Amino acid sequence: MALSRRIAYIDLSTGKIETKPIPVEMRKKFLGGRGLDAYLLYNHSEKGVDPFSPENPLIVSAGLLVGTLASATSRTHVMAKSPLTGLLGSCNMGGFFAPELRWAGFDHLVIKGKADKPVYIYIHNGEIEIRDAKNLWGKSVTEAQRAVREELGDPDVKCLVCGPAGEKLVRFANVMTGVKNAGGRTGMGAVMGSKKLKLIAVRGTMDIKIAYPKEALEFNKRFIEQITTAKVNQTMSILGTPFIWGATNSWGGIRVNNFQYNQLLYADDVEPERFHEIANETFGKYHMAGCFACQVHCRTRYRIPDGPYKGCYDEGPEYTTQGAFASEVGCTSALTVLTGNYLCNQYGVDWLELGSLIAWAMELYEKGILTSKDTGGIDLRFGNDEAVIEMVKHVCERDTYLGDVLAEGGLRAAEIIGKDSIKYLIHVKGMQNLHSDERPTPALALNVATASRGSDHLRSRPAIDLYHLPEAVLRKIYSSPIPYEGPLSSDFREYVGKAWQVFWQEQCYMAVDSLGICKYHTTFLGATLPNFEDWVKAIYFNTGLEFTPQELWTIAERCNNMERLFNLREGLTPDDPYKGDRLVDRYHDEPAKRGAPDVVGSYIDREKFLKMREEFYRYHGWDEKTGVPTEETLKRLGIENEPSHLL
Amino acid sequence: MFNEKSTAESLKATRTYGQVRCPNPTCLDRLTPKPQEKTIRCPKCGTEWRVVWLKPDLPRIRGPVWETNIEIARKKLEEIEKKGG
Repeated sequence: MALSRRIAYIDLSTGKIETKPIPVEMRKKFLGGRGLDAYLLYNHSEKGVDPFSPENPLIVSAGLLVGTLASATSRTHVMAKSPLTGLLGSCNMGGFFAPELRWAGFDHLVIKGKADKPVYIYIHNGEIEIRDAKNLWGKSVTEAQRAVREELGDPDVKCLVCGPAGEKLVRFANVMTGVKNAGGRTGMGAVMGSKKLKLIAVRGTMDIKIAYPKEALEFNKRFIEQITTAKVNQTMSILGTPFIWGATNSWGGIRVNNFQYNQLLYADDVEPERFHEIANETFGKYHMAGCFACQVHCRTRYRIPDGPYKGCYDEGPEYTTQGAFASEVGCTSALTVLTGNYLCNQYGVDWLELGSLIAWAMELYEKGILTSKDTGGIDLRFGNDEAVIEMVKHVCERDTYLGDVLAEGGLRAAEIIGKDSIKYLIHVKGMQNLHSDERPTPALALNVATASRGSDHLRSRPAIDLYHLPEAVLRKIYSSPIPYEGPLSSDFREYVGKAWQVFWQEQCYMAVDSLGICKYHTTFLGATLPNFEDWVKAIYFNTGLEFTPQELWTIAERCNNMERLFNLREGLTPDDPYKGDRLVDRYHDEPAKRGAPDVVGSYIDREKFLKMREEFYRYHGWDEKTGVPTEETLKRLGIENEPSHLL
Repeated sequence: MFNEKSTAESLKATRTYGQVRCPNPTCLDRLTPKPQEKTIRCPKCGTEWRVVWLKPDLPRIRGPVWETNIEIARKKLEEIEKKGG
């Protein structure tokens, strides 16, 4: 049945492999995917562990509903201590790997140790082997996958891979699957590289027994109807995620030139419709593709239309790629975005982090903090398309002074560069911010400041706050499954009520990440998309596990608190400039200069922000000043004795 | 419980097809572009937007009419700076 999948402990130093069943009681407490990974990380790592040491566990998992009859259940999750931030490392990706892992008999892999030479792990129908990867090491993300399929003689093998950036320990290297499904943020690819683990290949034909198959299918019809009729998903199925960047740039919610401005002017060539045209011209009318069991199909397929990489096949770009290689670096060329996208996918690196770091270096160069000697003669001014592409390669190859320094991530790079460089670094907890400018949107600012893996939009962002929804609609969404009678405001510039929205979204995203469902199928970009009440039905019909929506909420809270415990153990304090739940000074001190009239002049008021953060801590049952869960909260959630070492 | 409509399902009735919102934060009114219209001006705040039609009933704001909206933003910034903001 759907609960029969096992956990495997793989030691790359000794070659020892052990598998165990996952007790139902653990499912009831942590579901699977990210939630159970948070338990495993806290229990299998020691305080202060070096992220590149053999003792840092790399945990790979599928969500509880992955591979069942529920929609959009494609998500793979990877967790370890982050080499970028020194705090929680966590990433989540679509594609086809996680369902294949489940069909091969496993839900969670805890990988420890370090191989003495490059290896890959091959998992097939309950069997696990560690194999030699000397022929794969050094290959790009797609070349490595092609080579292993050839070696195994099976074109249906699915792979989780680290690219050359991970091998070279670029601290924000991705874990990748397929062409562009990226486990980005926090450098999980570098942890793979540090273990000399190039790839995990899986192939499975073991059925998952569905608890109530007829009912599961019937319910999924309702789910599909809900998903496919939403305007946001109809838009995404045509334009992909770039529509998000386009919509945000329209009113001035985009970081430009490393946060000096908030709207990329005359950006027609990097608007989503332009990428749609290029995909039509280079791939054809049917260029949109989807992940496992998804009806949205947000993945654009294209070939690079011009330049040195002309004709190369790739997928994307995403809205974050537009941020990385257009607005943040001040470029307005579609070709730069597509080329940057292609290179990052092949190297296996987080373009969001990389684009932000290049933008930061550009500002340092324009201010004279970096010189042409530091850049190796590259004219690193904003808007220099060639310089951006050159820097992508140098960082991933670590073959120049500045490339090598930036590969260390922002905080380490600032320490090496010195002078005033840290002042211009736009980060939270040592992770670069998304391309969005949260000065006009206090709710989104609170989200990035408090997200468990550093500045991030996929942990607690109330993106629907931007839709000016009537208060009655907001109330319906945000007072279920837990009653909420406090204030709510349709105005995204407001501070009141926003802490609750961020808190609500945090539980929503943890639940969806633990179930293995894509965020585009929940209350992320669409106000009318499924959440707690809908998921408990899908869980019951597919697995037989019975939860109320409130119980599911409590599970999400428990898992979020496990992540909090990990971060606190590794040194998070609320106001720490490097590891805190805080924003850099530019949010507070430099008002937005561009955009819609009601956005011009926006900034985040320090006092109101701190009040909002206290409120947010209070909802969690954390101390308002220290952000530490109270004893009562830990007891309520049944995690007062962690680490408990039950799995 | 299993046959009841969830909150999300009940909210489906609130969806509006054929309309877009003015992206300026205080303009809560929805704008209804005429079929295949390529630009639309917000009657409330004066901002002007380029419209694309993804489907006959699915208009989308592609972006600002740059000249109009940049000028509006410039004036607003000037006002704020005059007030010492």
